[in-house]
Amino acid sequence: MALPRLALDGERRVVAGVCGGIARALGADVTLVRVVFAVLALGGGAGILVYLALWAYARARRAWFAVLLAVVASALVLSAVGLSGSGVLGLVLVAAGLWLALRRGGSLRPDTRVSYWGLALAAVGVAIAVPGGTPTLLAPGAIGAALVLLVGPWLWRLVLDRDAERSARVRSEERAEVAARVHDSVLQTLALIQRHAQEPQRVAALARRQERELRGWLYGDLPIGNGAASVVAALSAAAADVEEVHGVRVELATAGDCPVDERVEAAVLAAREAMTNAAKFAGVGEIDVYAEVTEDAVAVFVRDRGSGFDRAGVPPGRRGLVDSVERRLERAGGCATITSAPGEGTEVELRVPRDGSS
Amino acid sequence: MKPRIVLVDDHALFLAGVRAELGDAVEVVGTAGTVADAVPLIKEADPDVVLLDVHLPDGGGDAVINAVALERPAVRFLALSVSDAAEDVIAVIRAGARGYVTKTISGEELAQAIERVRSGDAVFSPRLAGFVLDAFRAGERVGGDSELDELTAREREVLQLIARGYMYKEIAARLHLSVKTVESHVSSVLRKLQLSSRHELTRWATRHRLV
Repeated sequence: MALPRLALDGERRVVAGVCGGIARALGADVTLVRVVFAVLALGGGAGILVYLALWAYARARRAWFAVLLAVVASALVLSAVGLSGSGVLGLVLVAAGLWLALRRGGSLRPDTRVSYWGLALAAVGVAIAVPGGTPTLLAPGAIGAALVLLVGPWLWRLVLDRDAERSARVRSEERAEVAARVHDSVLQTLALIQRHAQEPQRVAALARRQERELRGWLYGDLPIGNGAASVVAALSAAAADVEEVHGVRVELATAGDCPVDERVEAAVLAAREAMTNAAKFAGVGEIDVYAEVTEDAVAVFVRDRGSGFDRAGVPPGRRGLVDSVERRLERAGGCATITSAPGEGTEVELRVPRDGSS
Repeated sequence: MKPRIVLVDDHALFLAGVRAELGDAVEVVGTAGTVADAVPLIKEADPDVVLLDVHLPDGGGDAVINAVALERPAVRFLALSVSDAAEDVIAVIRAGARGYVTKTISGEELAQAIERVRSGDAVFSPRLAGFVLDAFRAGERVGGDSELDELTAREREVLQLIARGYMYKEIAARLHLSVKTVESHVSSVLRKLQLSSRHELTRWATRHRLV
């Protein structure tokens, strides 16, 4: 929330062009601004001081000097209106204290530093002004204004922070999604390329395929690894990929079919990752995959009779299971259940709700 | 005694592969590549089990079963295929095949499947289980006048586990049943599949053809 920028108006100037500058910055009539200054000048010369203050600010950007002049000017106006000396002093102190508080802390949030000096000054000001015989409305008004000034920025900042937090969360979810995709595709391919470094043809084929996939995902908005429109087609493609890349057999069984939407795509990608995991770590040549599409959900089971594993023994750096399977399903509003024990194989159950049913 | 089998498949390479994989677990008494060759061969050889491709150049596997079943009721059929449309597989099963396995099956498993079919049990591969679950899907029933038109909850459960790749033994352990009970559930599903006259099977097949 930037304030309108004040610049002196050299063309329409009478003295230094301050009124013209304000009129332009605010989009107001220059005559109106001049009248306001003239009226203020009647209040003990306050208008002149404010004019000087703004001129100094516009010329040299000396904020503190402008503020000092403005404070003196307000004091003059207030005493011209008929406040007692202590009342004016009190209000000036309140204003100065608030200014300090805002400048130093700017907010009252617990985790940011508050200017205690500023708050103390404001408090002293209130203490002087209240018993100083000021008009009865003024003291509560000053306190109210002080509260608004103190709490206002704080509330404002809270709102800004909340927006910032939300967009940060969205960003981090997007990053997780990208990381999961990259893990499933590029990192897997790179691992394979390393393993087959002695076979140039194989390496070239892997690289070509990966390139096609990445292009499809980046520019064509295709689900990575397949552009299929139905669950069964997408899973068949994923199964064929895993068979081709890892040299295992994937036995795919299905009951029902449905179009691939975002959630279903998450399940397909997770299933693909689960198949890849089984192919790499289970140490068996066959993986069973079963997909069941009902009215309200899609369930995919990926099972192997391999070595199995102990969840507690998986190193934290291995992202496949957590990011590509569990977190991905969570983001899609579904859930993943992994059942495994050493020596007893592994079954990954993936479940996502279908659109319109949740 | 080793089961006597006939192989019916038009892919010579596949025939040779199966022969090699099965080794001496079975006795292959004949092979054929078309419906026209298969029918007289099966009648002549009278094998225990016929391994039958779902698709043949001159017709479906169900044509072979329909032509042979009356004359040789003791011959059992096991459908075998790479990847087929659900309705074609169901058609072969409804014609009388006792099971369906995919060609990716290992030699050892195939030998077990043949043995099971010979002794009168049903052999459901995961894929067939999925097809059958789809065909008998809950909530798509219109008439429902016969118990043949519906799977029981237990049968559904067993089929789901088969589809997920569990073996009978594993299913039995998981559901706290005996292997025999699991087998009888599967046989009962097969019977329903073959005997049910429910419209939904037709409707389902039609829908699949259209989709």
